[in-house]
Amino acid sequence: MKIYLTLTVASLKMYFRNKQALFWALFFPLLIMLIFGIMDFDKYNSPNVGIYDAANNDASKALIQALRGSDEQRLLSIDVYPLDEALHQLEFESTQAVIEIPANYGVPGEFAEIKVIYDERFQQERAVISTILGRVTDAVFKEAAQVPGEYRVENSLGISESFIEGQGKGFKAWLIPGIAAMAIMQTGLFTVVFTLVRFRSQGVLRRLKASPIGASHFLAGQLTTKAIVVVLQTYVLVIVGAIVLGVSVGDGRVGTWIDLTLLALLGGALFIAMGLAVSGWAKNEETAAPVANIISMPMMFLSGVFFPLSVMPDWLTAWSQYLPLTFLADGMRAITVEGAPITTLDTELIGLGVWIVLSFIIATKMFRWE
Amino acid sequence: MTAATNPVIVAKDLRKKYEEITAVNGISFEVRRGEVFGMLGPNGAGKTTTIEILEGMRDADSGDAIINGINVKDDPTAVKTIIGVQLQQNAFFDNLKLAEIVNLYAKLYLSVVDPVEVLSRVGLDNRKNAKYAELSGGQKQRLSIAVALVNDPVVLFLDEPTTGLDPQARRQLWELVRTIQKSGATIVLTTHYMEEAEELCDRIAVVENGEIIALDTPDALIDQLLATGFKPERRIREATLDDVFLNLTGRDLRD
Repeated sequence: MKIYLTLTVASLKMYFRNKQALFWALFFPLLIMLIFGIMDFDKYNSPNVGIYDAANNDASKALIQALRGSDEQRLLSIDVYPLDEALHQLEFESTQAVIEIPANYGVPGEFAEIKVIYDERFQQERAVISTILGRVTDAVFKEAAQVPGEYRVENSLGISESFIEGQGKGFKAWLIPGIAAMAIMQTGLFTVVFTLVRFRSQGVLRRLKASPIGASHFLAGQLTTKAIVVVLQTYVLVIVGAIVLGVSVGDGRVGTWIDLTLLALLGGALFIAMGLAVSGWAKNEETAAPVANIISMPMMFLSGVFFPLSVMPDWLTAWSQYLPLTFLADGMRAITVEGAPITTLDTELIGLGVWIVLSFIIATKMFRWE
Repeated sequence: MTAATNPVIVAKDLRKKYEEITAVNGISFEVRRGEVFGMLGPNGAGKTTTIEILEGMRDADSGDAIINGINVKDDPTAVKTIIGVQLQQNAFFDNLKLAEIVNLYAKLYLSVVDPVEVLSRVGLDNRKNAKYAELSGGQKQRLSIAVALVNDPVVLFLDEPTTGLDPQARRQLWELVRTIQKSGATIVLTTHYMEEAEELCDRIAVVENGEIIALDTPDALIDQLLATGFKPERRIREATLDDVFLNLTGRDLRD
């Protein structure tokens, strides 16, 4: 245990004296976060609307299409969700209103009431959504009225409005945990791959194997260092985000920080294991770099770090929702944005767990000392 | 027989195959306590593999390697604890100071040392705060020997310790080897330099194709050759080109 601590301290020294590693672990993600954070992406978007379509018939689909507008002229930015998901989005994410289309919408002779729930903080968007909804239902009615024998929307449609106060904190709050997750991936994968491949090709690991305590303790110390760095960088990103970008962290519980630490360590374990696997596979630093990039680059853009999965086509999200970084970013976001306790993150924890086990199995198969 | 007269290293019919290549093909020898034992031979002859088996870094396919009465097969950790190792390719951590590197390795051998004292044994105490990358080739070799001394080894293995060094640094390393020998350690070294073997080694094993083809003192080996009627092609002079070089450039280290 004492040796393990000594080795960890030595490894920490090596790490923090390596200016290049520090730049990539701390300053680079910080820079990206600040650059994206000072841009106000919320401002230029058409209003975000979540729709719950209980009718799911031709009439309701036509209505949704009309609300979306044409490709040339986007009216509303729409996602169709189950009801509970739509309400969750309204409360915690960037959705500004939920439109609930009733089951009897478009059924001839029945009175259908469309319910709209707004986040009361977005009055400007409310005005836009309300106007578009009025105009579109009006047009649907007029079109239907010209076809003889078609149902009469005129007498059978109502729109009711209600308000809630959402907790969503906008793009900046959304961005920070994603960047933190990305930084964990980069640290775990790249620093593990590069230090181990270099130590192996230079013969450092062989020399350690010649000593009685040897290489496994040394490896443990190295990995502990990465885990410490992962937690530190998460703190730095979240704290700087709070101070510079004015984003509050979680719901202010102390537990938020404990949960954040635990999740960062889980993410660290996952990507460190991936790093071990890659470092075992790669012969030298030249082959290690492209492989680490091939693993990390797609995840950087497909896991909802810079933009949400909801803007991606469905065939892509069908895959990207299972990416390890997606689970980590979603989990981090739930903790810092919604203040959710880590124990409620079933999907994310199971997803991460499966990836961790898989990565460690591959890592133990691939890892080589020389 | 007392422990002191027992051979400190016994290699018995060591064999090691890598896929198609037989690296070590039945090597047996003994090393006496306190001697400097040289292994000579062309690249790929099996010297390094033999030494790595003795060091517990590689398993032999068959045969026994016994260091100070301990069979390497049975307890490689116990063997590693009492030997010092300098590998052919040595590298240490870029971002640690020399004293920190020595300290780290002392911990790996469960020994407590004064890193400055260990560095002074190889003449590097004035560079204790330098980083590994800042060292010259000779200094790097001396650091790797310092690291090999942290546990006061019974046997010190040096694998091509002077390869790539200039004549001044080489001579300084020879001095160091003699000092270590005087302190009571047994030394096994490999080299490609015959004058080095002649200068340092009490006995020499010549290895070829995984087998020992000659084993004796340097003088005896030379006498055996001369006894066959061998005449060197070159005229023997009183000095060598090595002497000329050192006379011109001086014996001071250029680190």
